[in-house]
Amino acid sequence: MSERVLPGPAGASSGRRGRTGPRATPVRRLLRNPRTVAGALILGALGLSAVLAPILTPYAPDRADFLARLAPPGPGHLLGADHLGRDVLSRVLWASRTSLLIGVISAAVAVGLGVIVGGIAGYSGGWTDSVLMRCTDVMLAFPVFFIAVMFLALFGPSIAGLIVVLGGTSWPPSARLVRGEFLRLRQLDFIAAARALGASRLRIMARHLLPNVVAVVVISVTLRVGLAILAEASLSYLGLGVQPPTPSWGNIIADGRDYLLTAWWVSLVPGLFVLLSVLAFNLVGDGIRDAFDPKMQT
Amino acid sequence: MGWYIVRRLVHAVPILVGVTVVTFAVLAAAPGDPVLMMVAPEQQNTADLAALRAQLGLNKPLPVQYAVMMTNLVTGRLRSFRERRPVAEIIGGALGPTALLAGLALAAAAIVSAPVALVSALRPYSALDHVVTMFSLLGIALPSFWFALVLIFVFTDRLTWLPASGLRPEGVAGYSPALVWPYLVMPTIVLALSILPLLVRYARSALLETLHEEYVLVARAKGLTGARVLGRHVLRNSLVPVVTVLGLVIPGLLSGALVVESIFAIPGIGRLTVDGALARDYPVVMTTTVVGAALVIVSNLLTDVSYAFLDPRIRFD
Repeated sequence: MSERVLPGPAGASSGRRGRTGPRATPVRRLLRNPRTVAGALILGALGLSAVLAPILTPYAPDRADFLARLAPPGPGHLLGADHLGRDVLSRVLWASRTSLLIGVISAAVAVGLGVIVGGIAGYSGGWTDSVLMRCTDVMLAFPVFFIAVMFLALFGPSIAGLIVVLGGTSWPPSARLVRGEFLRLRQLDFIAAARALGASRLRIMARHLLPNVVAVVVISVTLRVGLAILAEASLSYLGLGVQPPTPSWGNIIADGRDYLLTAWWVSLVPGLFVLLSVLAFNLVGDGIRDAFDPKMQT
Repeated sequence: MGWYIVRRLVHAVPILVGVTVVTFAVLAAAPGDPVLMMVAPEQQNTADLAALRAQLGLNKPLPVQYAVMMTNLVTGRLRSFRERRPVAEIIGGALGPTALLAGLALAAAAIVSAPVALVSALRPYSALDHVVTMFSLLGIALPSFWFALVLIFVFTDRLTWLPASGLRPEGVAGYSPALVWPYLVMPTIVLALSILPLLVRYARSALLETLHEEYVLVARAKGLTGARVLGRHVLRNSLVPVVTVLGLVIPGLLSGALVVESIFAIPGIGRLTVDGALARDYPVVMTTTVVGAALVIVSNLLTDVSYAFLDPRIRFD
């Protein structure tokens, strides 16, 4: 999407190091993309504040102070307090632990499943490929959010349930991507060479094919985290995700829903955190994609 | 072409069967008993519960239950556990609001995205283009349920211009536009905004790609006016990727409708699914899932078929 610097002839590089020429490694390209850097900085800040939540937060996330009920943002409560007098800033920072963790783990599960299914289908081909791809078609036909709602309503909402359902329903796109890559790679000479040397199927997959899809996998995970965070927030908002008293961005927004007129800050602040974190993951994901594989679109 | 459509529809049958198997497996594995949900705790006695279970067919082995459910689903005789009405009737009533909402949102998003993508693609990397890109990035990251609350806060709570729940005033039936429109403004905006950024992004890159084609250069060199080059050469040839993304966003629209219907209390398919699952009304859950899956399959098919109309080079036979 953004302008890419094409590697020019050696020696043509202008003053700044690594701008063009042989020094223009993907990592340097990544670091020179202002959007990626901005996204990475936001992610760093969010991650750090989540890790340091116990130190950074002025109050315990569930400490109710009835004198501070619905207190507006001010010196005592920097971002205000909710209907039980709990500090919004403290709750949102603690919630970022839950929300970010669920986002990252379920994205990793989804892409991991996708790599397994897509890898086996793409390498084996034939009958196995047909069966696995039919299963992928079935999963793709489900409106993902429908099955998530159904599953969580039936089995009862929980963090583990969220990860299972988000990871278990959103693997088909990655499976298709990895299958396509494997189909392309297995025709190449180095795979024929490995096979001629007597490498086993497992070894060819693990040592020769997988390393070639690492970039694709990293990009998929990064872009999927954003989607997973959005899904987690929506489900928790509907009461089907993270359950109180554990704070998550979605359920804090739900807490504030009935107090919009008197205490808009309760819902506003966690929503901004969702927006920022999803934006940051997408910026970083897009940046990695542009830097490593300009042709890839998904 | 006719055969292609027939082949695709035949191909869809095993996919739909797979969807019903997965759904039934989830329903069967779920903890909790639909019968206990239907009877107040103080009225539960063993004999009545067993009778109710027998009436609903829940005492039969699972494969039999599945077979009965499928037969009834296909013949349209499936009945809701809770309401004892045919599910077809319930779904029929809920389909209208969802179709109206999704249709309006799709139309609004398409109408807005076209000119935005065009001005963006005609001056790539200009200030305007950067603004458009920034807004698309923000739009993709925007949690729609939260944005809905922001709209409710501004337009219902503060300005009191628009109603925040329901589809029409109480005691009124039908879809009289004069009465219904205030109820649809905010849900349509929220739903349209959830697909708009994707449409703009795809349309922009499709237009950019076409603008760099040699035939566009030739058309310009021939001395055609800018408007004619755009209208006859660029826009037409950019349609195929845009139609693809329209097909891709339809499942997203369904999911979005589920959230939007819950927030704005619109009695559509999405709310029906949530309520049905919470109440363990298995026939309702099964039917909404199958309807949703069928919509996804049909929209994919329509997308593929529309390629052939837009680009005569594409042949399926």
